[in-house]
Formats: sequence, structure tokens, C-alpha cells
Amino acid sequence: MSLPGDPVPGTAESLAVAGPLPRVRMRRPRSDRSLIAGTLAGAESDLELLFRRHWPRAYRAAFLIVHDHAAAEDIAQEALVAAIRRLDRFDRRRPFGPWLGAIVSNRAIDCVRARSSRRELVEANLEQGSPPSASVGPYSEEVVAALSALSPEQRTVVVMRYVLEYTPGEIARALELPRGTVNSRLRRGLDALESRLREAERQ
Amino acid sequence: MSAKRTLNSFRAPDERGAEERAWEVVRAAYRERAPGGRRHAFARRAGVVAASIVAVGVVALSPAGATVGRLVDRALGVQHPAPGLFSLPAPGRILVSGAGGTWIVAANGSARRIGAWRQASWSPHGLYLTVAARDELAAVSTRGVLQWTLIRPDVSDPRWYAPSGYRVAYLSGDELRDVAGDGTGDHLLAAPVEHVAPAWRPGHPYQLAYVTAAGGLVVRDAGTGAKLWSANPGVRVHELAWSADGQRLLALASTAVLLYAGDGRRLSTRPAPAGGSIVGGALSPDGRTLAVVTDGSSSTVTVYSDIARHPVVRRVLAGLELGQVAWSPNGQWVLVSWPAADQWVFVRVAGKPRIAAVSRISQQFSSRLTSARFPALEGWCCNARGAAG
Repeated sequence: MSLPGDPVPGTAESLAVAGPLPRVRMRRPRSDRSLIAGTLAGAESDLELLFRRHWPRAYRAAFLIVHDHAAAEDIAQEALVAAIRRLDRFDRRRPFGPWLGAIVSNRAIDCVRARSSRRELVEANLEQGSPPSASVGPYSEEVVAALSALSPEQRTVVVMRYVLEYTPGEIARALELPRGTVNSRLRRGLDALESRLREAERQ
Repeated sequence: MSAKRTLNSFRAPDERGAEERAWEVVRAAYRERAPGGRRHAFARRAGVVAASIVAVGVVALSPAGATVGRLVDRALGVQHPAPGLFSLPAPGRILVSGAGGTWIVAANGSARRIGAWRQASWSPHGLYLTVAARDELAAVSTRGVLQWTLIRPDVSDPRWYAPSGYRVAYLSGDELRDVAGDGTGDHLLAAPVEHVAPAWRPGHPYQLAYVTAAGGLVVRDAGTGAKLWSANPGVRVHELAWSADGQRLLALASTAVLLYAGDGRRLSTRPAPAGGSIVGGALSPDGRTLAVVTDGSSSTVTVYSDIARHPVVRRVLAGLELGQVAWSPNGQWVLVSWPAADQWVFVRVAGKPRIAAVSRISQQFSSRLTSARFPALEGWCCNARGAAG
């Protein structure tokens, strides 16, 4: 509440009364490199900043690859724990995000492959009833449905490119694939995804 | 909206809740790995060895020429170990299984997690693995891609026939079973058997050595089911291994090392040192040299060269509570696991003596710190002829 006589924010008078505007220094976010150094030195607050910065993408990427929020949570969680434990071996000249993303993606792919090989068992269990998946919202459901039509390999490459924002070269290195393979999977995956999303929009 | 923008704006279910749960786990892991946590772990390990000497002593062994030259005695680990597994001292890949699943370590030190398997073993040429979960046997590629699976109760100790890889023997509870290398034709070979990994006789399809529940040593033809020979070792055998040419069968018991000829004749019995017991052993890739881990007032790794004829005995490492031993594919190094020190120790036993150690092994091969346990060595693969080491 403003009191009588208080300068009114936003007016010329208030500026005159208050004098020159204080200089607001925009603090630049700390780099991953600096947060890693702090984490290694024992600063839990730096670890938390690093975690909060990278968790959402790690979790989303895992979810989009495995299509199971519980499994995705486990995968992202284990990947972060593994990354933290190996932090002292991490080459700090390299970006942290792609390194973590590679761990997440590889684990998610392993999970999908293991599941597809055990599909018969899983289906048997599903007949007995499986826990409902958490709601992901209408728009997200379209994305999940469209992605599920892709092969796990295409899906992974698309997610790494457009959710984790890797370059094709980084994807190739992380998945140990030729760059041409990454590009062709990306192209085909994206084409298929676009057409499915267009179909969903028409409906 | 384009697919790219759609993906970019995607939100997963319960992101906030998942984030908070994950943060709790990550923070707990961090607190355990922080310096205070490490001191705690060290104190716990030190407790294992009670009042023993913690300082490292490096002692030259005598007589001259009887050893690779150095002994790490009464020690809780080799001094100045590498903090991570940056590379292996010899070519090949190491297979490891532990609480964090099964991993393959490449020569450059990079580790690939194959999956949440309890045990694993190399195929003869190192192209595939047989892996076991509690109630599942499977074959996977070295990238972890499943080739086939078989559901059986309480599966353990799968072993691939060398050199063809056409058959896999494994234990299921107290049964010894045999399945083709493509996962077909699974059948019972013998029961009840002792929980000892079976051993295929190289170059003699498909002769398989195993230990019966009564403690007898049996070699059976897995193709016809015929028993070829049996023997009463008189001791409780816990490990079997054939020489590379299939002419010698080695049986390790806690009290002795027994050597049998291919036809079942016992060639020699070498008792464990007084007060000690044999906890593990491995034959070199050429089958001529045996490395044995003995436990007692201190553990030792002893190498017996020319095992079939006139063994030359060398102690190459001593410490407290040493674990397993595995040969490098070129036969020049042995890798000794040291759970009490959380180390792997590489000892060069051919050429110029050398010791190299790596610390924090349990952390490097666990999926969660809370379940960090020292992993088991499953083999160091492969030599030029493809036999898994």
C-alpha cells in the first residue's frame, strides 16, 4: 500500500524524488564447469544447482524413450547418481549436459530393448492389470503417441536431438553410430513424427 | 506446431514430484561420496581387518628369481592407486558383475553397462555373453542386445563351450542343464549337483566336468548323456578348470589343488599352505600356469608355472582378504580383486615385474551408491584364438 506523499512508481516525479535508478547487475548464471568444481569441493548447493538445471531434460528424454514415467524416473535418477559418482573423472573441458544425456539415453535404450525381449512376459502381466500411467496432459499425449510409433532407435535419436538438443555429431559419439546413420534416423523419425502430429491435429 | 517445437515444449508427467524424489536420492549419494563419507567407508573397511597393520609395506621377496619381485604385505590396499579405471595394462576386455549389473570394461577404461544381470560369462570369441538373472538365462551381444532368453528357476554359472560356442551349460537350482548356443533344446544333464560352475573340456565336444551333490567329480558327454569317468576327490571341490588343450582338469578345494588327466587319473595333489585355505584360482590362457588365491593370516596370490610337469612356485602378491584372480588374454598379467581395499590390483607376472592398482572399484560398477558392493570378476577376454580368459 502506498502512503500519501510516497513517490508513485513509474512517474517522472517519482524518478525525480528517488534520484537515479539503482544499477541492477544481472548475475550471469554460473557455468556447469564452475558448479562441478564447487560440487567436487564439497558444496552441496552447487550440486543442487547442477541437478536442478539438468534433471528436467534428463527425465523428459528418458520418458519419451521408454514411455513409462516410473521407469523414466528410475533411469534419470540412476544416471544422475552415476554421473555424480564419476564427477571427479569427468573431463571439465567437455560440456556436462551431453555427457549426462548419453548416460540417460543409453540406459533408456537398454530398458526398451530389455522390455521388447520380455514383451511376452510383460503382456501376461498386463492382462492381470497394470498400474495406470500418470496423466501427461492432452498435448503431451499426442507427442507420446506419435513417438511410440517410431522404432526405439529413431525415437532415441529424435529425443536426443530435439529434447536434449544435441548436435548430430554429439549423438553419433554418444550412441557410437556413424553420423550418416544418425542423420538418416533423424530425417525419417522427424518425417514420421510430423505426419502423425498433423493427423492428430486434424482429428 | 512443428514436431521440433512440440518436442521442445514437451513436459513429462509429475516432473516436479519426480525431481524432488530424485534430488533426495542424488543428495544422499553425494553425501556418501563426499570426503566425510569416504572416511566412514575407510573406517568400516579398516574394521574388517581389526588390529592389523594399515600402512602399506612393500617387501622384496626372496629367493631371487622366485618372484616377480614385490609383495604388498599386511596392507589394506596398494599405495597410490589410480582413482579410476583409466585403462587396462593389457589388451582385452574385462567382464564384471555386481550390484549395479553386468559391465564390460574396454582396454581404454571405458565401461559399458550390459544390463541388470547377476552373473555373466564370455562366449569363446568374446562376441556374446551368457548372462543370468535369478530366474532367467539369456544370451546378449556385447552391446547388451538380447539374443534369446530362457526362464528357469535359480539360474547360475552359465558356461559356453569353446571353441565353437554351440552349447551352454548352466546350473538351475541343483540341476545341471545344457542348451544350444541359439537358446534351443534346453535339457537336464544331471541332478542333484553341487553349486560349482561346470567346465567344458576344450576340443572334446561335448565333454563337461561337474561336481555332484555328493562331492564326486564327473565328466559326462553332454551329447549322448554318457558318463565318461568319475572320481572321488576326497575334498570339497569349489572350482573346476580345464587346461587349454583339454588334457588336464584342475579341481580347486579349500584345502588342496588337484590335477587330473583327461582320462580321470589323478596326477597330483598340492595341499594349501598350513593355516591357509584356497579361495579361488584361474588357469592362464595357454593352460600352463595356475594362479591361486590363498587366504590365511594374510592372503596371497601364488603362480604355479608349468603346472602339469614341474611347477615353479612364485608368490606375486600378498595382502589382507584378497578376492578373485583373472588372467589377461596375453597371459602376462593377473588381475586380483581386493574387496577389503576396494581395489583392483594388476600384477605383471611375465617380463619386468610391475604392480598397478585402481581404487574405488565398487563405486565404479554400481548403479546406486546405496547398493555399492564389490563386483565379481567374470573374465578377461580374449586371446588370439578366442578363448575367454
